[in-house]
Amino acid sequence: MVELKNVSVTYSSGVDALNNVSLKINDGDFAFVVGSSGAGKSTMIKLLLKEINATSGVVTVNGYNLNKMKRRQIPEFRRTLGFVFQDFRLIPSMTVYENIAFVLRVIDAPKKYIRKRVPYVISLVGLQAKSNSYPDELSGGEKQRVAIARALVNDPKLIIADEPTGNIDPELSYEIVELLKGINDCGTTILMVTHEHDLVRHFGGRIINITDGEIVFDEVIGGINEA
Amino acid sequence: MKLSGVKYLVDQGVENVWKNKMMAFATFCVLLISLLLVGASVIFYFNINSMIGGISDKNEIAVFINDKADKARITEIGQDLAKIKGVSEVTFESKEDAFNKMLVQMPEYEKIFESLGNDNPLVDGYRVKVSNIDEVPQIISEIRGLNDIYYVKASQEFVNVLKELRRVVTMVACAIIAALAVVSMIMISNTTKASIFTRREEIQIMKYVGATNSFIRTPFFVEGMVTGFFSGIGAFIITWAAYNSLFELLTKQVNVMNVIGLGNIIQFSSIRVYVLLSYIIAGSFIGALGSVIFTRKHINV
Ligand SMILES: Nc1ncnc2c1ncn2[C@@H]1O[C@H](COP(=O)(O)OP(=O)(O)O)[C@@H](O)[C@H]1O
Ligand SMILES: [Mg+2]
Repeated sequence: MVELKNVSVTYSSGVDALNNVSLKINDGDFAFVVGSSGAGKSTMIKLLLKEINATSGVVTVNGYNLNKMKRRQIPEFRRTLGFVFQDFRLIPSMTVYENIAFVLRVIDAPKKYIRKRVPYVISLVGLQAKSNSYPDELSGGEKQRVAIARALVNDPKLIIADEPTGNIDPELSYEIVELLKGINDCGTTILMVTHEHDLVRHFGGRIINITDGEIVFDEVIGGINEA
Repeated sequence: MKLSGVKYLVDQGVENVWKNKMMAFATFCVLLISLLLVGASVIFYFNINSMIGGISDKNEIAVFINDKADKARITEIGQDLAKIKGVSEVTFESKEDAFNKMLVQMPEYEKIFESLGNDNPLVDGYRVKVSNIDEVPQIISEIRGLNDIYYVKASQEFVNVLKELRRVVTMVACAIIAALAVVSMIMISNTTKASIFTRREEIQIMKYVGATNSFIRTPFFVEGMVTGFFSGIGAFIITWAAYNSLFELLTKQVNVMNVIGLGNIIQFSSIRVYVLLSYIIAGSFIGALGSVIFTRKHINV
C-alpha cells in the first residue's frame, strides 16, 4: 500500500517539485501516473523509494512510515518492493541470470532457492534463451524484461516503474505493460509512470495525472481493449 | 549471513582486485615499500640490540698488535700496557687462540674460514681490563700512543656508537613510517575510490534492492586485505633475499666481523616466521582498515 498525505517536496535549488499531494494506492491495484516532462512524476517515485525525503507531509509505503524510518531500516524496507527504470539499470558485466540472481544474493537467499527461483522468473518474462547473454547483447525490450524479472524475483508487494517503456520501441511497449498487468493479476501492486498517452488509453484503469507538482486528475477509465 | 553469502562477497572482493588491477598494483607497491622500510628498520634495530647485548665485557679493551712485531716486542708491549694508570689486568691472546675462540662461538662459519685458504686472518693481541669505565677513552688514547699497535677496540666505545646508531635509526624510521603511513593511506583511498567508481552501477542497484551497508562494504574490505596480504608476501621475499645477501657479504669481511662480533648478527632463519607473520598481518590489516575507512567516506551508505 502506498499513501501520501499532504506531501510537498522542495529541492535545495528552490524548485517545488510536488505541492501538497495526497494519494492512496491499495494493495493489488494497478495505477498509471501520467503528466508532462518536469511535472514531478520521478520526484514522487524517488520519494517512494526513500531516495529523497518529503519536505512536508507523510509518506507510507508497505506499512513503513518513510518520514520516521531510520537509515538502517532502509535495506529491509527496499526489500519489500521492486523497481523498473527507463534506463534499465542492468549491470553490464553480469549475464541476465547474474543480474537477477544478484538481488537474491543481496538479501542472502539460500543458494538452492536462487537456482530455482531465477530460471523461473526468467521464464515468466520469456527470456530462457537469453539467460547467459550480457545486457549489451539484448534489445531494449529484452533488457526491460530482464529488469522486470529482477523486480519480481524477491516477490515484492509493490513494483514501481518509472517510464519503463521510455527507451523501447512503441510496439514493444504494449508487451511490457502486458507483462506488468500479468504480474498485477497475481496480486502485486503496480505503480507505473509514463507519458505515453496511447498506452494509457489502450489499457485504461486508474490514471493519476500530475501537473506542475499537483494531482489534477485521479480516476478509473475504461481501456480500449476492455471496451 | 550464510557461508555461501560470505564466499560470494569474498569472491567479489578478489574480483575487485583484478578489475581494478592498475590501482591495486600501485597500492601493492606503496604498501610493499612501506612494509619493507619499516621491516628493515625493525630488523636493524634488533640486530643492534643483539650486538649491544653480545658485548659482555664492557670494561675491556682489545689491543691488536702489528704483524711485524716479534715475540720480544709483543712481551714488551704487554709490560707497557700493564704500566698504564687505571689498567687492572692484561691477558695475552694469540691469533691461534682468537681463531679457536671464534670457531667455538660460531661453528657454522667454519666454511668461511676455510674459504680463506686456512690462512688465519687474525692477529695477536692483548685483552686489557679497566677498573673504571669512565677512564676508557683516556686509556685508549694512551694505548694508541704506543708503537706497533695495529688496532684498539674498546667495547664501551663501540656500545656507545651502537646506541647512537640505534637512536638515529629509530628517529629516521619513525619519520619514514609517518610519511609512508600518509602516502599509503592516500593510495588506498584512491584505489578504493577507483574501485567504487568501477562498481558504481552495482552499488547503486545494490542499494535499491536493499543491500545492507556491510554487504556493500565487504568486497572492498576483502580487496584491501588481499592487496595488503600480497604486499606482505612480497616484502617478506625481498627482505629474505636482501638480508641473506647482506649477511653473506658482511660475514666475509673478517675485519668488520671482528668489530661487530659475528655471533651477534641475527640469522634470518631464526626470525623468518616472525618476519613473515608480521608482514602479512601488518599488510592485510593496513589494507583492510584503509578500505573500510575510505569505503565509508566514498560510498554514502
Ligand atoms: N535533484 C534535483 N534537484 C533539483 N531539482 C530537481 C531535481 N530533480 C528534479 N528536479 C526538478 O523538479 C521538477 C520535477 O522533476 P521530475 O520529478 O524529474 O519530473 P518528471 O519525472 O515528471 O519529468 C523539475 O522542475 C525538475 O527540474
Ligand atoms: Mg521522470
